[in-house]
Amino acid sequence: MPDIKNIIKGCLAGNRRDQELLYRRHAAKLYAVCLQYSGNDEEARDILQEGFIKIFENLIFYKHEGSFEGWMRRIIVNTALEKYRSKHNLYRVDDIDLIPEPEADPENTDYSGLEAVDLLDIIRELPPKYRMVFNLYAIEGYSHKEIGKIINISEGTSKSNLARARIILQKKVNIYTGLNKKVISG
Amino acid sequence: MADREANIDLLFRNGLKELEVLPPVEAWDKIYPVVRRKQRPVIFLRSAALIAVLVSIGFLAYRWSQELTLLVQNPQIALGEESVKYQNNNATRLPLVNSSPELPAAESNVPVKVTSGNEIDSVTGENNINREVPDFITEYNPLVSERDLLFPLSTSPIIPFGKETNADKAGSLADESFEMPKARTDRWSVIAMASPTYYLSPVSGGDEISKQINSAEQSHISYSGGVGFAYQISDKLSVQSGLYYSSIGQQVGGINSFGGFMPFDYTKGDHNFEVMTSNGVVYTNNADIFLLDRTGDRVLTRYTNDVFDPAKANLSYISNSLYQNFGYLEMPLILRYKFIDRTIDFNVMGGLSYNLLINNSVYTTMDGNKYPVGKTAGLNQFMVSSSLGMGMEYSLSEKFSLNLEPTFRYYLNPFGLNTGTRTHPYSFGIFSGLSFKF
Repeated sequence: MPDIKNIIKGCLAGNRRDQELLYRRHAAKLYAVCLQYSGNDEEARDILQEGFIKIFENLIFYKHEGSFEGWMRRIIVNTALEKYRSKHNLYRVDDIDLIPEPEADPENTDYSGLEAVDLLDIIRELPPKYRMVFNLYAIEGYSHKEIGKIINISEGTSKSNLARARIILQKKVNIYTGLNKKVISG
Repeated sequence: MADREANIDLLFRNGLKELEVLPPVEAWDKIYPVVRRKQRPVIFLRSAALIAVLVSIGFLAYRWSQELTLLVQNPQIALGEESVKYQNNNATRLPLVNSSPELPAAESNVPVKVTSGNEIDSVTGENNINREVPDFITEYNPLVSERDLLFPLSTSPIIPFGKETNADKAGSLADESFEMPKARTDRWSVIAMASPTYYLSPVSGGDEISKQINSAEQSHISYSGGVGFAYQISDKLSVQSGLYYSSIGQQVGGINSFGGFMPFDYTKGDHNFEVMTSNGVVYTNNADIFLLDRTGDRVLTRYTNDVFDPAKANLSYISNSLYQNFGYLEMPLILRYKFIDRTIDFNVMGGLSYNLLINNSVYTTMDGNKYPVGKTAGLNQFMVSSSLGMGMEYSLSEKFSLNLEPTFRYYLNPFGLNTGTRTHPYSFGIFSGLSFKF
């Protein structure tokens, strides 16, 4: 199996086979990220295609430091954000919505019945603005301040959207796990 | 609450971490093989240019030193009257006519071969006498002064003292020995030269668009060549002019081009795309070309990402670079000063060139085929450039010689001002060619 450094070298030389090899090796994982950030399959495919074009275009800047997969993931996420920004007419609003109170949630809930694909379906059902904030905060680890700058919303709006996203997700998770939910007492 | 919140976050973070979903099979087919070639750092090219200059100087210096050594060690030097001094003699110079052929050998124990004409009249010494002095004499013989080694030694025959010759009529023997004026009848020469050229056109602006332009543009294939003539004003100084064609190429990276746009053209008016470059704005005149700047904002168009997706419209990807090409007709006026006049001459040159724009095209390429895109607008039709260089000239024969000239050129006025940035390009080239004297 060719070493990743050799594949990158081949890609930089314009070798189509190496490009395809890189794509085949990482497409499945990155496509899952695309699905996570998009509401429909067509949009996810567009993000994947545009993201891979950017990956190939920017390979010369990859310094072989840190995780290559992490580097590609960042490009895919940025592409998804660009798509989101282009589709949603963004203008900064100082959202003064109160952060809603979360519903009571049983602690120590057993989520073992939930598959990864179920989680993906749940997250994709979120409204775009909630999905974006939840992904950036909970999955990518951005702060509310950073999220505010990235998608041009206020820090308060980011917090509010996150809270709403969590409530929706919790409800959906509860529905998914409703039949075999086991609450461990004590 | 924090625990609960973290709980739902962690559930999704960990649950989705290793998730893999196979993308649609056709997804790969629309990922075009766009690769941004690694741009050669400017510093590397500048270093290469500097090395080329240093190598040229070093080579010339080496050849010059070799010529000096050969001059000193030449085994066939005929000593002139002025160049002989006798040891232990109060008189610093003695005419050779007073010395018998055996004298130098007797005094210095160094054999001196006397090659004379047919007969030597020992009384009058009327025959021409040529002395061949072995090279060890010139090395060790104290009779040869240091001054003699620094000046060219005469190869003319030794004339007996007091005997008037034709040369005496024209001037003194000493004058003839040291100032042999070489008749220069070939004042004119024709020169054919050509050079690959490396161009740089740095954008002076500090705004975002200038940075994008600077990082994306690099010199492409550029060359210059033509025929000139030179007139020798003096032994050292000459003036040169002629007619040259100069092709300047520039690669504009990061602009993706697609073919098959014709059915969509004219839906939003003509002049669909404008591309900001350091030399001016490129206007497309090929209705079948769609342009897209994925990494910046250099392309101005009504067909933005929001309203037009080349992939969805099934356009054919061509390339991720545009190529600007400018052709200039040049008329240089160059002054050349020769400061080493040997088998290989060494000279410095400088002057001005007047350039007339005669070709302006922008194209893109795929598999070696060129696709015309448009033209660069707002270019200066007439430009002036200054040149500075040094050259060497190697004489192949009396008439022909080879020339090599590393030349630096700076354009006094910018190519264009459309982008709001003043660009004074400069270039470096190594001209080589052949000249013929007549």
